[in-house]
Amino acid sequence: MKATASAAEIVEAIIGGKTTARTVAQEALERIAKHNERLGAFTEMTPARALRQADIVDGLAQGGGTPGPLAGVPFAVKNLFDVKGLVTRAGSKINRRNEPAAQDSTLVRRLEAAGAVLVGTLNMGEYAYDFTGENIHDGPSRNPHDLDHMTGGSSGGSGAAVAAGLVPLTLGSDTNGSIRVPASLCGLFGLKPTYGRLSRAHTFPFVSSFDHLGPLGRSVRDLALAYDAMQGYDAADPVMTRRVNEPTLARLKHSIPPGRIAVADGYFAGDAATQAVVAHVAKAVGSTRTITIPDAQEARAAAFLITMVEGAALHLDRLRERPHDFDPEVRDRLLAGAMIPAVWVQRAQKLRRAYRETLLKLFEGVDVILAPSTPMRAPKIGQKTALFGGIELPVRPNLGIFTQPISFIGLPVVSVPVWLPGEKLPLGVQIIAAPWREDIALRVAHHLEQSGAVAAPVAREFADD
Amino acid sequence: MSYKPFDAEALIDAAAPMLQLQIAPEYRAGIKQNLKTAAKMAAILEKVKLEDDAEPAPVFQP
Repeated sequence: MKATASAAEIVEAIIGGKTTARTVAQEALERIAKHNERLGAFTEMTPARALRQADIVDGLAQGGGTPGPLAGVPFAVKNLFDVKGLVTRAGSKINRRNEPAAQDSTLVRRLEAAGAVLVGTLNMGEYAYDFTGENIHDGPSRNPHDLDHMTGGSSGGSGAAVAAGLVPLTLGSDTNGSIRVPASLCGLFGLKPTYGRLSRAHTFPFVSSFDHLGPLGRSVRDLALAYDAMQGYDAADPVMTRRVNEPTLARLKHSIPPGRIAVADGYFAGDAATQAVVAHVAKAVGSTRTITIPDAQEARAAAFLITMVEGAALHLDRLRERPHDFDPEVRDRLLAGAMIPAVWVQRAQKLRRAYRETLLKLFEGVDVILAPSTPMRAPKIGQKTALFGGIELPVRPNLGIFTQPISFIGLPVVSVPVWLPGEKLPLGVQIIAAPWREDIALRVAHHLEQSGAVAAPVAREFADD
Repeated sequence: MSYKPFDAEALIDAAAPMLQLQIAPEYRAGIKQNLKTAAKMAAILEKVKLEDDAEPAPVFQP
């Protein structure tokens, strides 16, 4: 299969006997070996495991069995997911002294149970406290559409691997935007589900209040396939919902709600570049409404403080014992987080509940809110500052200004990639829905994809493999 | 509450021993910058009116 093949196309080809899971896995492993040095996407490969799993899938497919809805689909995971036998780095130097994981993370197990084939683990910003995709220990992940530019982060390798066609599907984590930011900068579809919908068990945490996991891909159908395969209660993650599974794939083609889609104004208005991509999406879905999300700036401030403090609490022992082994930018934010008054955080958690109530009321009048995913296209690797609304600010914390107020209360979002004529890099738009309505966000994204308004092509340089 | 400049050095010097953190000289500028950013965020947050009976978001289920 070509680098451009979607997960759904791979499944169809394997079930139809046109290729085998082993061949598809070998092709993916070869692409990774050929291109990874330039991309910085993968940190470890798992070829033996991949071929073993592929042979199981082939055995089932050829024996008339049911190899699963993701039969033979190569995938990879951000290196904060436990993979049995590998050390879970979470982008750090410090964790490399840890014992190898004794078991797989729940989501890896579920994707493999659906027939998918794990081929390796992916680069990420240290301890996920990052929006750039740069890593001081492993080097940056590079944007396949222009290797001098950032992937965005912290799931940087997850973005690079899919945009370069190394695999059709990756998993990332998103605490304040770490799936949606690389999806935006790398021109991909990314799903951050509702908080508590997908199990986080056996992954390295960051901020328990906001940590989410989810897929990145080049088609909405692939996101739905993966999301449906990963749903299900897991007692090992205490914030998991006990709601029944709500499959989305069969509902992708359902009509989208006309007149119930609105563009977020005010805080989310951004500049000419973000306004142009949001207007493009709004026009494609026939939306003429705007809506104001009250207290978005306050929500972002609250998310910022909770992140600093929960992150500091998580890493306090490591900050005492090995501060010099952290990425300095991560370390200094965490050290500051340890010194923040607790009353600020308690206030932030009160605002979180009040803000949730406010937004649930907004969703009585709309089904979908549109907002930019990032305030700009991919900055250059190493770029420290950029203009945000005409003001020069640090790139690293500010790439997440539009994602942070949304994950703050765990709303489901699909980031869709927009390529405007004349632009060399993509920019994403968030399709934001009410809690547990991933189906609506995915339907709108699917409609946009089918109409040609959004697309996630493999980067030209890598598309012929 | 609006943001007012404060002595971040003094906070670092007071908090580090309490937290048993060793602060190398080269860490200080970054920590100071981040403390100032945090204080600005807190000032934004304090302008929101929250009632005494507003419940914080996390819910514990025994």
